[in-house]
Amino acid sequence: MSNYDFDRVNILLVEDSQFMRSLLANSLKVLGVGNVFPVEHGGDAIHFLNRVKNEPMKVGVQQIDIVISNWDMHPIDGLMLLRWIRRHKDSPDRFVPFVMITSYTEPERIVQAREMGVTDILAKPFTINNIGEKLISIIERPRQFVHTKEFFGPDRRRQKFPPQVERRILTDKSEGVEVIRG
Amino acid sequence: MASNKPVIVRFYRFQNRLKEKTVGLAPGNAAISPEALEKAEQALSKMSEDYPDWVSSIVVKLQEQHGRCVDSPEMRRECFEEINHMAHDMKGQGGTFGYPLITNFADSLYGFTIQRPGEITDNQIELVKGHLDAMRAVIRGRVSGSGGEIGQSLTDGLAQAIEKYETED
Repeated sequence: MSNYDFDRVNILLVEDSQFMRSLLANSLKVLGVGNVFPVEHGGDAIHFLNRVKNEPMKVGVQQIDIVISNWDMHPIDGLMLLRWIRRHKDSPDRFVPFVMITSYTEPERIVQAREMGVTDILAKPFTINNIGEKLISIIERPRQFVHTKEFFGPDRRRQKFPPQVERRILTDKSEGVEVIRG
Repeated sequence: MASNKPVIVRFYRFQNRLKEKTVGLAPGNAAISPEALEKAEQALSKMSEDYPDWVSSIVVKLQEQHGRCVDSPEMRRECFEEINHMAHDMKGQGGTFGYPLITNFADSLYGFTIQRPGEITDNQIELVKGHLDAMRAVIRGRVSGSGGEIGQSLTDGLAQAIEKYETED
């Protein structure tokens, strides 16, 4: 079995607490992540992503591979950042995996993040293993993106059901379904 | 031929670029190296050891703001904003480092220093001090977890102070 090499992975880390920011950046680096770009809140993150889009040479990164962001921040929180990334016309990559860090684990909160297109949730308090598991899940189990009138984001169904249990009405061949590959 | 029917849903399926980046195209399972995990765990626990010192340094700064509130009543609104910001910074992480009581007290301090209309009273300033005293007691006694009896008495003490001062105002 081979080991993951995260050396070429670029992570944008959005966390307003200085202590947590350096702790997370440090943990990711020790896990071998080549480039961690730490910023202080959602507004800084949007500014940074704009720069990656417009002047990648200056920033020193062509593309962000994963966004890891705290939820509760001021003035722009994690949910607003996620909304911008998934829906705004200036977003450099609407499909980028987005991990939300939060101590809000009430079901309605989780649903709110999911409806906005979150990829995964990292609940506080967390361990290094939790961080590792999230990275592996993003790499090994990427989900297709679904775009409907009401929703844009990673498929909210993670499980594969056998045909007799599957409740999804539309298949790839149905009328009104378009599959885009890239 | 393209259909004229409106599209109801689009599915986007991409090549797994991240997998190519991290494990190449070789088949088989990959794992995070156990040494890297071990090293990262150690780094995290090393930083966790610094957590009480970090809290203490913030409590000192909060103390300075409290002092300014007492000495210069005209600065209270500004000070409360500073205090609110620092409390927010503290409240997110106590649990991660085994000090949920710090999170509770910081959360309470954060909640009641959110700007609201009206004058900031002496009682409210006194309550800031109550929170700082409780936080200091947690750190001084290294009261981790829920803190058993000590934790309960600190929590109760603070709750009583809040009730007393809030009903007086």
